[in-house]
Amino acid sequence: MAEGKYANDPEWESITPIQLDDGSDSGAMPLASIAYPSEYLEATSYLRAVMAANEMSERALRLTEDVISLNPAHYTVWIYRAKILFALEKDLLEELEWLNGVSLKYLKNYQIWHHRQVLMASKAHFPTIPTKELDFLMEMFAQDSKNYHVWTYRHWLIRHFKLWDLPRELEDVESLIKADVRNNSAWNHRYMLRFGPREDAPAAGMANAGSALSTADEKGVLTVVDEDLVDFELEFAKAQIVRAPENRSPWWYARGVLRAAGRGVGEWEGFAGKFVDTHSGDVRSSHAVEWLADVYASGEGVKAVEMFTLLKEKYDPIRKNYWDYRIQQVVV
Amino acid sequence: MPTVAGKRRNVRFPFAHLKTAPLTTAQKPQKQTQKQNQNQEKRPDTRSTSSQGRKMASQAAPHPGTPALFTQPPPIRDPLVTETTDLQDATLSKCLPFLKGTSDLQKGPFNASGVPALQRDDHVEYLYDSLEDYPAGFVAMDSSRPWMIYWGLAGLTLLGEDVSRVHQRVIASIRPMQNPTGGFGGGHGQISHLASSYAAVLSLAMVGSSDAFALVDRQAMWQWLGRLKQADGGFRVCEGGEEDVRGAYCASVIISLLNLPLDLPPTSEARLAGFDNLTDGLGEYLSRCQSFEGGISGSPGVEAHGAYAFCALACLSILGPPENTIAKHMNLPLLLSWLSARQYAPEGGFSGRTNKLVDGCYSHWVGGCWPLLQSALDGKPQSASAPSTTVGSLFSREGLDRYILACCQHPQGGLRDKPGKHADAYHTCYVLTGLSATQHHHYRTDSSPCANKNFSSAFSWRSKPTSADENVFEKSDRLTAFHPIYVIPHQAAEKMRLWYEAEPFAT
Repeated sequence: MAEGKYANDPEWESITPIQLDDGSDSGAMPLASIAYPSEYLEATSYLRAVMAANEMSERALRLTEDVISLNPAHYTVWIYRAKILFALEKDLLEELEWLNGVSLKYLKNYQIWHHRQVLMASKAHFPTIPTKELDFLMEMFAQDSKNYHVWTYRHWLIRHFKLWDLPRELEDVESLIKADVRNNSAWNHRYMLRFGPREDAPAAGMANAGSALSTADEKGVLTVVDEDLVDFELEFAKAQIVRAPENRSPWWYARGVLRAAGRGVGEWEGFAGKFVDTHSGDVRSSHAVEWLADVYASGEGVKAVEMFTLLKEKYDPIRKNYWDYRIQQVVV
Repeated sequence: MPTVAGKRRNVRFPFAHLKTAPLTTAQKPQKQTQKQNQNQEKRPDTRSTSSQGRKMASQAAPHPGTPALFTQPPPIRDPLVTETTDLQDATLSKCLPFLKGTSDLQKGPFNASGVPALQRDDHVEYLYDSLEDYPAGFVAMDSSRPWMIYWGLAGLTLLGEDVSRVHQRVIASIRPMQNPTGGFGGGHGQISHLASSYAAVLSLAMVGSSDAFALVDRQAMWQWLGRLKQADGGFRVCEGGEEDVRGAYCASVIISLLNLPLDLPPTSEARLAGFDNLTDGLGEYLSRCQSFEGGISGSPGVEAHGAYAFCALACLSILGPPENTIAKHMNLPLLLSWLSARQYAPEGGFSGRTNKLVDGCYSHWVGGCWPLLQSALDGKPQSASAPSTTVGSLFSREGLDRYILACCQHPQGGLRDKPGKHADAYHTCYVLTGLSATQHHHYRTDSSPCANKNFSSAFSWRSKPTSADENVFEKSDRLTAFHPIYVIPHQAAEKMRLWYEAEPFAT
């Protein structure tokens, strides 16, 4: 280990690297061991040493970049890097620029997005959202429009900067839904923009969740309802359903909207019925059949069973046991 | 440069394709090392992209015994083509020859139901190899070694292998990963992480020796968990790291298996939020993770996802009896509907999210939700044996068994996401876990072996094999039963808990 870029660098002379302990000193062969490249072994041995000393320095910052370039999945080095950036009061916009490149290179990486959030959470550095931030997220979505880490980060962003009503948010969601009406991640984001808890309410997938004042059955039901907004969203969902009726996303979005408004599925009986002609056998959406079943379940048991039976026998038979369970619950 | 004393061993490189696992800290290694497989797996894409009359690839007659449900495209398909339908159609084209039993990449033999046998010996060999050395290209796995050990040991245990024979090697590997400030990291000098700690603790439980149990510094672990507890009830995965449902599940597994005190350490900042216990506010946090679709997301407000659904439901099933905790914190009708919609035909397997593709790993993440929900619906156990009335299976065991055995077995051993993908230890472990779950009925009893009542319901689970007339697989394909919460054998979880119950804990 005497040879290497750190061992030969006078800047690192003061550091005694901590060699990897993989447990082999015990005499037993370690499991799932990796034949590390020598440059990785050396860099991480210096990383262990500077971390043990909690060193906050320029050289330690460069070391973290080196380790990240060798293994971006090394979560420890990201957390250490964030600490150093704040301790040395580095230019975080510059860090974001660098991060953009790394993010596009390693699309599936977890650590990058948490790191970005840690930086962005600094009110001192970012009192408002940087202008290019949403552009970059759209660049990420161009690579993978359902990337879970990026959507998680975007949800955090809207809460942190209170962006629910920023026109750009809705525009981006609409362009993604226009490009692929089946992008369920975009539908989820739209729901959070429109009906998610705001301001001082804790983050939640549905309003009223996890509160001592309401039960699980009451989750998602708003206390104050903007009926115009609800109607607008229902019309939007209808237009998207017409484009592709066998698409679960807008049907379930509409259920969420009606739920938020405290309105039942019954008001869409006519709309859902347009996709289900049981006489001619022309059924264009299994989700419409399920919708009708739920409409009929309260009061018209026989018709509900008829719809569930269609799903069970013809349109969604892999879920036979679930449809049978639903049939058992219907009061005929 | 080799880091291990002694001679290098020659192994195959099973991680050539490793997808990002929801619970892992790793990412997919960029390097493709399994050239031979790649060529063998390449299939002509005969899918037409025209909006009308999209056709499926294979026209060959299905193997006798295979129902039409598993050989035909779904009855309703929209003409509008988008990226989602392109990917879905491509997946169907790849799966159909395997579901029909007409692919020349399947080994067989096929049984009377048209289902190929489990290639047990190939998978055992694959998993033993997965525990040995990896070449330099796998450096991205450096923070996931506790996982690799867990996946290997769990997969082998499911296949009936006795992993206690490697207990010295497990201890040697895991010892340097523990930090004096509590918890286990992904390797020596890496900060402690709940996912690494979960994998390390479960690996120690599977080898099951006193030496292994004694390795864990419980006092430091308890202090560390106190630092990870957040003011909204959840847990960060590591100090300075993100907070999500994985953290909640992994922490609850560790607290309950190690029989840690429930009290928050006196110095825990979460006390400022009004919490006294490590588990205070946790159910409410998970409640906020249920999305309007009914499924559960990684953190509040994000899209519902199968892997996080398992973490949340398993966590609730540790906190108390599922008929109380799941029923209290989850909207059950919404959850059931979303979970049920994860199963697709003709594939038979599960997807993780709405409008996403089937993937073998969800055999566990989604499949593993079902016993927990069924138990919640069945209600309070009345006896020490299986309940006389039960809501039963609400998903298609046959569909999942077909997907696993027909589509997920790699011809050279190991299991995978879907046809055309490489096998890896992650998928091998969780596809087999899913298969085992379909082969058993899981239920709770009214008795628990624990003296300490904390989490006693989590230790009251039992299982019995499904009866032969329910199955499309053969007797020789049967796997060991796993505990539906701890994802290790029941007796391994019980033994670990009882060992720590007998050990004094000085706070």
